[in-house]
Amino acid sequence: MYALEGLRLIDFGQYLAGPFGPMILGDLGMEVIKVEPVAGDGMRMAATPFLGCQRGKRDIALNVKDPLGHELALRLVGTADAVHHNMTKGTATRLGLDYDACRAVKADVVYCNTYAYGLNGPLSEFGGLDPLYQASAGLEHEAGAVPHGHDPLYYRYGMCDTSNAMLSVVGVLAALYHRQRTGEGQELWTSLMDGATVFASDVVVHEDGTPSVRPKLDAAQRGFDAGYRLYETNDGWVQVAAIRKDRWSALCATLGVDASRDRALVEEALEAAFRTRTAVMWSHALDDAGVPNEVARQVNGGEALLFDADVERLGLVADYEHPILGRLRQFGTTIDFSDTPGHINGPPPRVGEDTRAILDELGYSGAEMDDLRAGGVVTWPDESYPWGW
Amino acid sequence: MPGALDGVRILDLTWGAAGALGVLLLAEQGTDTLKVEPPGGDPFRSYDGYKVWTRSRRAVQVDLKAEAGQRAFHRLVETADVVVESFRPGVADRLGVGYAACAATNPRLVYCSVPAWPEGHRFADRAGYDALVQAAAGQQWEQPGWRPGPIFLAMPMPSMGTIYLVASGVLAALIARESTGRGQHVRTSLLQGVLLYTTQIWQYIEKADAAVYGLMAKTNPPGVHQGMIFECADREFVHISVMSGKTPTKTLDEILDVEALPAAEVEGLLPLEAQNLMNVRRREAFKAWKRDELVAELIANNQIGEAVVTPEEQFEHPQLQANDMAVRVEDRELGSVTQMGVPIHLLGTPGAIVGPQPAVGEHDAEVFGDLGYSADEIAQITGGRR
Repeated sequence: MYALEGLRLIDFGQYLAGPFGPMILGDLGMEVIKVEPVAGDGMRMAATPFLGCQRGKRDIALNVKDPLGHELALRLVGTADAVHHNMTKGTATRLGLDYDACRAVKADVVYCNTYAYGLNGPLSEFGGLDPLYQASAGLEHEAGAVPHGHDPLYYRYGMCDTSNAMLSVVGVLAALYHRQRTGEGQELWTSLMDGATVFASDVVVHEDGTPSVRPKLDAAQRGFDAGYRLYETNDGWVQVAAIRKDRWSALCATLGVDASRDRALVEEALEAAFRTRTAVMWSHALDDAGVPNEVARQVNGGEALLFDADVERLGLVADYEHPILGRLRQFGTTIDFSDTPGHINGPPPRVGEDTRAILDELGYSGAEMDDLRAGGVVTWPDESYPWGW
Repeated sequence: MPGALDGVRILDLTWGAAGALGVLLLAEQGTDTLKVEPPGGDPFRSYDGYKVWTRSRRAVQVDLKAEAGQRAFHRLVETADVVVESFRPGVADRLGVGYAACAATNPRLVYCSVPAWPEGHRFADRAGYDALVQAAAGQQWEQPGWRPGPIFLAMPMPSMGTIYLVASGVLAALIARESTGRGQHVRTSLLQGVLLYTTQIWQYIEKADAAVYGLMAKTNPPGVHQGMIFECADREFVHISVMSGKTPTKTLDEILDVEALPAAEVEGLLPLEAQNLMNVRRREAFKAWKRDELVAELIANNQIGEAVVTPEEQFEHPQLQANDMAVRVEDRELGSVTQMGVPIHLLGTPGAIVGPQPAVGEHDAEVFGDLGYSADEIAQITGGRR
């Protein structure tokens, strides 16, 4: 049995901050049905972002703006435990798919909207992309070391989308647990903006407006402090974490640096000493001295990590055969369960991959399916499939 | 109104960001949360940000190296639904508070382990500070910066992925427990937190062509989104989004008063290349604008951009203020301070901040008194002297 076995979620989301959460819920054993526009999810224009948040889903390609398509969408909602999407505020109401519409066909539904700016406030009806919130939460200012004269720097992981999605995973699970115990569904929301603020949630501002002291990145983007930073060696870099006083002393002793001088001078001496040997040599010497450290590894677009022997052996990657792309490898289960293991239900679907199977389950005949397709209400892949994935 | 997780009791044995903040996501949806610390407290307490991450819980000291402490911990386990711990693999077992021992005490217990490296990984016995995981997992090399080589991620990204795996793993196991009647061992790690944030960029695709990888590739200078950061007057910056979810009433170039590129110059370029070429023209125009005035002008025209602020300035944003995400908390040491609110908004069972970070041992007498321990016994459990 999977942890969330027997639960079904209808995913009306597109791009990233909507679809990523349902994918993770699918990994936990939920049945996820992606309701995709007949013309395709807007994210299909970019392969890796799209493929990275769709695996394991069943896919029905459905025009929810068509009356027949709308009726079909609500029939699906009627079979579901949860509904999830990232439409901008007001869109679900215009489409007849808001909480009230869904609750009317499924009284105890858990209904989650992942917004850009959140439910309330002057910008609540705006959409937005991850970079806006890397800006708004101060992440880019900090990452670029702007106080040292640099420009702000965007983190290319795009993790505010993921944060929004993961907040929604936690929220949906909390609401489902509440529903299990009380029989009550509810509506919930998360946002990209809040997801970004979580990443800078160690900020504390005093009553007089002065912030508490937080570690700051140095001009060369190596770290926070002489004891917690990257050092360049004669062939690569070593990250050290000599935060405890005894470890700082051991770091200096290992590098042959007099720790009693001014800290800035000690740091310069450490830099010079690190350059005299290789990263692996220093790493082993630091290990022997009990100083936490790692060699910074080059993973070449992630490949070295995805094909790392331990990562493979521990089941941290997932492999599937995609009908167009061939072999596909991505990160695997992110949580291990001793009693209810995780589960990845196949590759990212093509547009309408499961349209016919889902319509069949709803009782439609083959002729009715063909009519719906001819009317542009649904579609499924055939020889003229236009997408590369 | 009770929260969604009302009645769930969590014992939080963790140190560091991943466990503390993961537990916070649950604590503020209504769990009864006990931070269980060694005598004298968790060493991460010296960090001010930890006051946010460890709020909304009570705090007790337990000396797990003493028999009295271990026994008392198991008395707590009898009353608990969830234990979360962040020791290196094997350490909790040696302390007598590992999964097997706790499950023997309480078979309904959901026990969540969140070390830096998963059990069985060759690094499992190594120290697990966030930046060490960034380095060894390749996140630093994959981030472009202002010089070649690995870039230190100021945001603790592995931990900030893992917080969600802790919270969702615990909840999924609680949901499963309603069917199975049993608890279980839930395991995640900072390494899995790294993997969580790789979805847009780290994949192996057998039949991918160059374009598949091109859009999201690591480039120096950094690519698609970095190019939309612009310097305004007074060396302030703005990040412009290419979509606002609304129909703009003026284009960006109309607002900036910049002329489009001649068709001949754009011919044959990819959209991203054309955008980058156009951005070169725009850069001078941006410098004529004061940042906040430009952001207001963008919004007035259904375009969207955000001021690149410092982390300390984020709470001034009207959206955080409108959504209870910039809140006042009476901290025991710092007094009245502004912090992040509750970032998961359940409308039927709203979450809430339960209280500020508790002092070390603040609830020793209350919690162990409730279990019937005498003052002498409490002193032994908590490593104190009488």
